[in-house]
Amino acid sequence: MIMDLTAILNGVPWTIALTLASFIVGAALGLPLCAMRLSTIGALRFTSTAIVVSCRSIPPIVWLFFVFFGIGNGLIAMSPFTAAVVGLGVVTAANMSEIYRGALTAIHPGQFEAAKVLNLTRSQQFRDVVLPQLTRIALPSGATYLIGLLKDSAVASTIGVTDLAYQSYHISQQTFRGLSVYAAAALLYILLSLPIAWLSRWADVQLRSRVSR
Amino acid sequence: MNSIASPFLESEPLASQRTGATGEPVLCVESVSKTYGTHRVLENITFQMQAGEVIAIIGPSGSGKSTLLRCINQLEPPNEGKVTIGGVTIDAGRAPSRRDLVALRRKIGMVFQSFNLFPHLSVLRNVSLAQERTMGRSRKEADVRSMDLLARVGLADKASQYPARCSGGQQQRIAIARALALEPEIMLFDEPTSALDPELGLEVLAVMKELALSGMTMIVVTHEMHFAENVSDRVILMAEGHILEEGPSAEIMRAPKTERAAKFLSAVRDR
Repeated sequence: MIMDLTAILNGVPWTIALTLASFIVGAALGLPLCAMRLSTIGALRFTSTAIVVSCRSIPPIVWLFFVFFGIGNGLIAMSPFTAAVVGLGVVTAANMSEIYRGALTAIHPGQFEAAKVLNLTRSQQFRDVVLPQLTRIALPSGATYLIGLLKDSAVASTIGVTDLAYQSYHISQQTFRGLSVYAAAALLYILLSLPIAWLSRWADVQLRSRVSR
Repeated sequence: MNSIASPFLESEPLASQRTGATGEPVLCVESVSKTYGTHRVLENITFQMQAGEVIAIIGPSGSGKSTLLRCINQLEPPNEGKVTIGGVTIDAGRAPSRRDLVALRRKIGMVFQSFNLFPHLSVLRNVSLAQERTMGRSRKEADVRSMDLLARVGLADKASQYPARCSGGQQQRIAIARALALEPEIMLFDEPTSALDPELGLEVLAVMKELALSGMTMIVVTHEMHFAENVSDRVILMAEGHILEEGPSAEIMRAPKTERAAKFLSAVRDR
């Protein structure tokens, strides 16, 4: 039993690594995607909208199979982990770009005007005025998405990433103790998501305490 | 002394106390028009301004006062006409270069009705940020300058607070300090007291009066008739996108020539 638990725990670092890596990829790629969506150039807007809509309407598992068995088979050789980061990262980028877009509309238009009349350059406007406010507004939705991503990362077990779900499946196959194995796995997913929720709430309170009375 | 020759001006203590420079106009607005779709918001607006002058723009809601102010610093690009400030001309006929826009806005400070302080930055950072980014001042230099200005608007003790902890009147005074920090040649005020209750509005008006006395060139879009009559040198009264009347404050405020202007003034005075 202890041996089984150790085997399941071996999947935890992979689950964490996959979740964080695809979130970082997605959170970064989401910014240019959002910028394109709001561009005055029609072609950019169309491209971004097409990417966002397709990424959000295709189930993550289909994406993963497309990347791993499709692109990964012959075109660009990829490890299961890389394929999973690419697949989930792209889906995350699409969703994060929508979260950013929503957060941008929540920033008072006067903020952009004040930055403009103070003669800040566009990059200064973004870095000094928009990004800090965007981060604060997008934080709760971003954290909710991150917890969702942690759970969705289990689909990567289907292409052979040796994560928590993968390990649990194999141990249960070997030991026929499905109930205890999956209960342990479920508990581990809960334990992993709690700190994210706590951290996001703490950060939210910290950031909010400044901007409200 | 002020450059406007007017028999009324001599009787205005505030205007005559001012020490603004005279000579070349500091601002020229020539035939500026602005259209939204088919709606003409500004129709052929022309006026000039001397350094050290204070102009109040008054008029009913929707008369184009704020749009005119926003056309001057190109927050709203005019459809026709020219704006010249200190040698920089923006002609609506040609798309302005980024460089011209920067040069124009360097000379203009703007204060908004809704303050628009940056909520994520302390009061001191609000005033210092643009100095560091656009004037090449070090953080230390900028902070020294900011503290001077915060003291001038009576808020040195708020420097480390966040804007949300300040009253509306305090926020607007901080916004004035933030604009002054960039050493503009001319200050634009877009209904600076309209979002404030009367008591808080007074503390903002006091700061603006002090600024006017120090010789700052100012255009103030306002509903404060007392300010228009007693602090400003000249009044521009707008209605339906036109300049209805323009002239020395006392003249316009006490003896308007048109019936429309008289009607507006009596309505706002009766409040």
